[in-house]
Amino acid sequence: MALCEAEKTFILHSVEENFRIDGRQRGDYRPMELETNIVAPSFGSARLRLANTDVLVSVKLEIDSPTLEQPKLGKIEFFVDCSANATPDFEGRGGDNLATEISNCLSSAYKSSTAFDAGKLCILKGSKCWKLYVDILLLECGGNLYDAVSLAVKAALWDTRIPLVKSVVVDGNKVDMEVSDELFDCERLDVTGAPIMVTVCKIGDQCIVDPTTAEEHCSGGSVVVAVSKSNFSTILQTGGGSLHPMTLLESLKLGQTVAQRLDSTLINTLKQINDNSTDVGFLK
Amino acid sequence: MFSTRAFIKKNKVGNYLKNIREHYIRDDIFCGLESCKSCEVLDTSLTGGFNNKNNLFKFNHYIILDTNIILDQIDILEEDVFGNVIILHTVLKEVKHRSLPVYKRLMSIIENPTRHFYIFTNDHHKDTYINQEKGELINDFNDRCIRKACTWYMKHMPNEKFVLITDDRGNRNTARNEKIKTCTITDYVKNLENSKHLQDKLARKDFHTVVDSDDFYPPHLPTVDIIQGIKDGSLHQGTFRASTSNFLEASVNVDEFEEPVIVQGRAGLNRAVDGDFVAIKILSKDEWISPSDIILEDESVTEGVDEVLEKEKVLKKTQKKANAQPTGMVVGIVRRKWRQYCGILQPSNMDGLFHLFVPADRKIPKVRIETRQAEFLRTQKIIVAIDTWPRHSRYPTGHFVRALGKIGDQATENEVVLLEHDVPHSKFSEEVLSFLPKLPWTIKEGDIAARVDLRGLDICSVDPPGCTDIDDALHCREIEDDKLEVGVHIADVSHFIRPGNALDIEASNRATTVYLVNNRIDMVPVLLSSNLCSLRGGEERFAFSCVWIMDKEANILETRFHKSIIKSKKAMTYEEAQMVIDDKHQVHSIAQSLRNLNSLAKILKRGRLDKGALVLASPEVKILMDSETHDPISVEAKKLFETNSMVEEFMLLANISVAQKILKEFPECALLRRHPTPPPNNFDPLVKAGNHLGFAIKIDSGKNLAASLDEAIREDNPFLNTMLRILATRCMMQAVYFSSGMYQKDEYFHYGLAVPLYTHFTSPIRRYADIIVHRLLAVAIGADCTYPDLLDKHKSTDLCKNLNYRNRMAQYAGRASVAFNTHLFFRGKLQDEEGYVLFVKKNALQILIPKYGLECTLYISEEGKTSPFTYDEDHQTQTAGDIVLHAFDPVIVRLTLDSKNIQHEKFILQLVKPHIEGFSIAPLTEMETKHKLTEIESGKKNKKQKKS
Amino acid sequence: MSKKKELVSKIGLRLDGRRADELRRVRCKMGVFSQPDGSAYIEQGLTKVLAAVYGPHQVRGNRSKAQHDSAIVNCQFSMAVFSTSERKKRPRGDRKSSEMSIHLRQALLAAIKVELYPWSQIDIYVEVLHADGGVYPACVNAATLALIDAGIPLKEYVCACSASLANNDIPMVDISHQEEMLGGPTLTIAALPMSEKIVLMEMSQRFHIDHLPKVMAKALKGCKDIKVILDEAVRSHVEDVGCSTGWSNTSQKIKV
Repeated sequence: MALCEAEKTFILHSVEENFRIDGRQRGDYRPMELETNIVAPSFGSARLRLANTDVLVSVKLEIDSPTLEQPKLGKIEFFVDCSANATPDFEGRGGDNLATEISNCLSSAYKSSTAFDAGKLCILKGSKCWKLYVDILLLECGGNLYDAVSLAVKAALWDTRIPLVKSVVVDGNKVDMEVSDELFDCERLDVTGAPIMVTVCKIGDQCIVDPTTAEEHCSGGSVVVAVSKSNFSTILQTGGGSLHPMTLLESLKLGQTVAQRLDSTLINTLKQINDNSTDVGFLK
Repeated sequence: MFSTRAFIKKNKVGNYLKNIREHYIRDDIFCGLESCKSCEVLDTSLTGGFNNKNNLFKFNHYIILDTNIILDQIDILEEDVFGNVIILHTVLKEVKHRSLPVYKRLMSIIENPTRHFYIFTNDHHKDTYINQEKGELINDFNDRCIRKACTWYMKHMPNEKFVLITDDRGNRNTARNEKIKTCTITDYVKNLENSKHLQDKLARKDFHTVVDSDDFYPPHLPTVDIIQGIKDGSLHQGTFRASTSNFLEASVNVDEFEEPVIVQGRAGLNRAVDGDFVAIKILSKDEWISPSDIILEDESVTEGVDEVLEKEKVLKKTQKKANAQPTGMVVGIVRRKWRQYCGILQPSNMDGLFHLFVPADRKIPKVRIETRQAEFLRTQKIIVAIDTWPRHSRYPTGHFVRALGKIGDQATENEVVLLEHDVPHSKFSEEVLSFLPKLPWTIKEGDIAARVDLRGLDICSVDPPGCTDIDDALHCREIEDDKLEVGVHIADVSHFIRPGNALDIEASNRATTVYLVNNRIDMVPVLLSSNLCSLRGGEERFAFSCVWIMDKEANILETRFHKSIIKSKKAMTYEEAQMVIDDKHQVHSIAQSLRNLNSLAKILKRGRLDKGALVLASPEVKILMDSETHDPISVEAKKLFETNSMVEEFMLLANISVAQKILKEFPECALLRRHPTPPPNNFDPLVKAGNHLGFAIKIDSGKNLAASLDEAIREDNPFLNTMLRILATRCMMQAVYFSSGMYQKDEYFHYGLAVPLYTHFTSPIRRYADIIVHRLLAVAIGADCTYPDLLDKHKSTDLCKNLNYRNRMAQYAGRASVAFNTHLFFRGKLQDEEGYVLFVKKNALQILIPKYGLECTLYISEEGKTSPFTYDEDHQTQTAGDIVLHAFDPVIVRLTLDSKNIQHEKFILQLVKPHIEGFSIAPLTEMETKHKLTEIESGKKNKKQKKS
Repeated sequence: MSKKKELVSKIGLRLDGRRADELRRVRCKMGVFSQPDGSAYIEQGLTKVLAAVYGPHQVRGNRSKAQHDSAIVNCQFSMAVFSTSERKKRPRGDRKSSEMSIHLRQALLAAIKVELYPWSQIDIYVEVLHADGGVYPACVNAATLALIDAGIPLKEYVCACSASLANNDIPMVDISHQEEMLGGPTLTIAALPMSEKIVLMEMSQRFHIDHLPKVMAKALKGCKDIKVILDEAVRSHVEDVGCSTGWSNTSQKIKV
């Protein structure tokens, strides 16, 4: 997106005035829509639309063996795909850099055991565990990807139902398990601690959250904080520009409070979702 | 409307996937009732014209069944006693899932419009579709679906009455609360009019007599434990094979052991029935035993258990540890393979409802059935199905299915033979017959254009006397320069049987025509087999011709295949043809061509034998029947002429030529016939027998085997060579059909004929394999088009499986029929016959009587008596005084038939010659023989007189 | 005999309850996204596809590709890794999806009036969210809607549909994944349903020539049925958009 100087100045001033071009205050978010259980062949899924940013997340399961270093832990893997539907720039392998950046950030945010208890995914110590494939598909980019992705991932994990393992039998090196084929028998994951990411964007002397694409262009530097309950699980500085340590600390504080607010809103929303609601998907 | 169904499924690599399927709910599914005003009635078979009469529900009603009723009581449903039955789709699907045979039987009932059955697709109907609820078991859900459909019908048609039949008490109670009329099948059938004979046919799953009686068998392990045990290797699974001679012994073939695992005794067998797939536990090695060598028969006539316990003791005593084999005990049944069994009612003076049924197959235990017509059934051969085998019951419980006819009747026994060998023998259905050509059948212009016209050639057929399904004819004529044109013309059956229609499907299922002594079960309807396809003399017929140009040394110079029209000049028997050849005065063209064929055939045969083809022998007999009474009047070995061999040679040659052609065109899907090389240890008995006689039988190759058999001749015993060949035949493997894509090239070999490629082309009227080969060849020469299944090697492998199975069964059925008629012939007769010792055993001699093709056992040591014989195991001889009996020695024995057991008549042999004091008996004087015969004759005459 | 499963039961219903000549439920929507010039979403049964169209715009990247007499049509087929019950390793770049891209382009090229936009490029991207049989037809249909949404002139609708043979005898239309797995060969055609021209035809396996005409006729009928549904969707979409821009006011005034 190309912006002229005048537009940039206008955005800068609007932030200074705490009356952003779309009428929001600096700490405000744009409206969001969330729907879970939208990808039928997955064990959990969610679609989050944050203004023009559209993210679809699916969670699939596979049986795997834990690593030698962490025999008691299950696995979780993030894969981000930037669809060319979002912009022709993503055609072919065009979106790979962005995708890797986001998935790495997610991996490190979910690494801590307080953020996400991978021990629950372990079926039999050292030999069998669940591996969660969290696949993120970016369908439209309207700014603030990290926040949208983290919210959608958390919602999808909330929606995930792990099949019930009825029995595990060990015989030498062979492990046989019996898994219930009833979807009713599935167990949900505990994702209350799953991190929420907030992008704090410095424009002029002020920090804002949920920047639009235009605002991202005017940013002098931004930092992504991943907050699990009240702890930081990862911090990543993105985009060009530099930040003063003082500003950085300020940003972190802002990020933390916003994240906690977002988290409780998300959990409340998820709790309201009715199991039997009919799917709407992209037809709305 | 629309709904989805989701479930978790494990994939091949062990991962769990969530699958999801659509499920459409419709508003165009109709109730099927004729009287319904709101539903479109397309073609329903439910009708107001049919009334169900039942004392329990004294009004006309429609019947709804649950799944278990259909699975258990399909025999009752097949009885034409109640109609207007609504089969719910939920139920139908479950039936199909649980038992395919029952599903097929149900479908044929539904398709019969006179039965008034209707399928209601409740699971796609907008008002009867329901979702499985959380925590609801699948069975409960299905029951709920059924009740939902019932209540819908009641609401939909308030003026009609509906009855739900289910044996599930819980379901009945819930149904009553929902105001659904319901009862058990037993109650329903009992209250039918004329229900007496029907009650016998009710399956008895819920049967509990004396609950406080002690459990007679150990319990089976629960399924979960069995699966677990098999997984962790503590249990094994395999097919249970009951012993024919000892009812308390069986073996189980298990992958983990080379030898079959022995199971013995009541607890060891633990209610397994021959053919069941069972789970067994292997006993510790010090408990292993060798197979028992005593014969034990279940002689009890009541359900008492004392006799078994007694016999078990006998068995225990004889148990031997030498040569012990793995031994185990049955701990559970993985899959029952129960079918319906032929047999008779145990003659006993048991009163009341319960009787014992004795199956014809010795491997099957007696079955306890309930019947109210025991008096009548005692005279009949009957069919019985096993329902269950509770722990406390000595015998399994079953129910009477139907009676086949009077015991000992030809027709009844034929039926038994066919049923026991799973030979499809029902009449051809109307649908099948609808695909036959319409009479009068004429040859059309187009047919002539598409075929080579060979009507001018002197073609003739040579077959056994009385043959009506002539599928091959031959011709031979001289063409320029010492060259001969030889043609084999095979009936063009594939012209009449088009792929995929009902006629074709029926034929492919039957796979072969089955020949019984006095009956022929046709593979294709008689219009084709004996008329349109049969290459009768003097009639114009379609043929598939294989024509060679040969030189006088029988070298093939050129091979052609084409469809043709022929007109056989004459249909001859082997004997007639032989006479024509031998009669030097006959010089007409047919005689010439036969002579040419004959001399070519001799060259061909020589060449074949030089390559190592085996000449094998098996005693074949022919039974002559009295045309009036259909009683066998004589049994004799089949006569063979030179012409037999002549026809055979050309058929072989045609088959080989065709095999080469179709394999070239269809390397992946040619239907061929292979005869595997037998493993060397198969030949052990033959080699051993040869060694005792001083002949070295070489078995390293077919050629050496043939040569060493040729050399094994002894002047003083001309039959010895034949005996060796009979033994050699028994060492062979079964030849089988296969699809070329499924085997390696070197596995195509036909061992017996010593040819690398072989197939069946020459008898399409009586073998389905030939029809397929005809189709392949027709495609190869561009005379016909192909269809997908023909070229699919997996489909054709499935087909081969069926062909091989049916062929084997047809062979057994044929033998069983001959055996029965031989018995019939010997009833009441007393005869001295020449025989040969086939094997020498410890307590018996196996005697072959070539005249009747009989193989019987002559016991030489009886219990409690001292035998004059001493056994020499090393030389395989029995010695009594100065008489030594070797294998293959000629003897004379007296034959009588023991008919004490009417299901298993057997021959009793007594030694006449050589004479051994105190053992042999004096030969029959002519007077005695005559006396006996006249007795029979006069008996017969009396019978006839009575008739008139 | 062979154990081939019956795909149409004795009572004439398929495994999911449809009759042989019935399509699966089709639901679609145009203009699902705001950034592309045109976008559409279609559900055929459980198969779900998103399509986006960018252009006509300047040729991106290598300008020498531009053509003086027509627009370049660029297609990319992509399948979300979670779209099948077994997770895919890559969303695109494999042989199958390259082939799909080519086939997609072939079908669409037949309908787009490329001659109207010389020196320019049209990008068409499809993203499969759930594959449950008939992926290619759904992609073509979605792309058609997206092209219409983008306002790119078409000769007529391009619709695609699959068909197969049940029980070796009955032709059936719009094959689901389950039926693809159990049944025989599947025939897929893309057609211009109004002029009854076929622009692409593909078979999954060998088809016996005797069966081909009736199966093809079924598939073509399916294309026509889909066209009716798409047409309805386009009209209602245009009406909605028209309403919000005040066009309906004028029409109301006329009515008054």
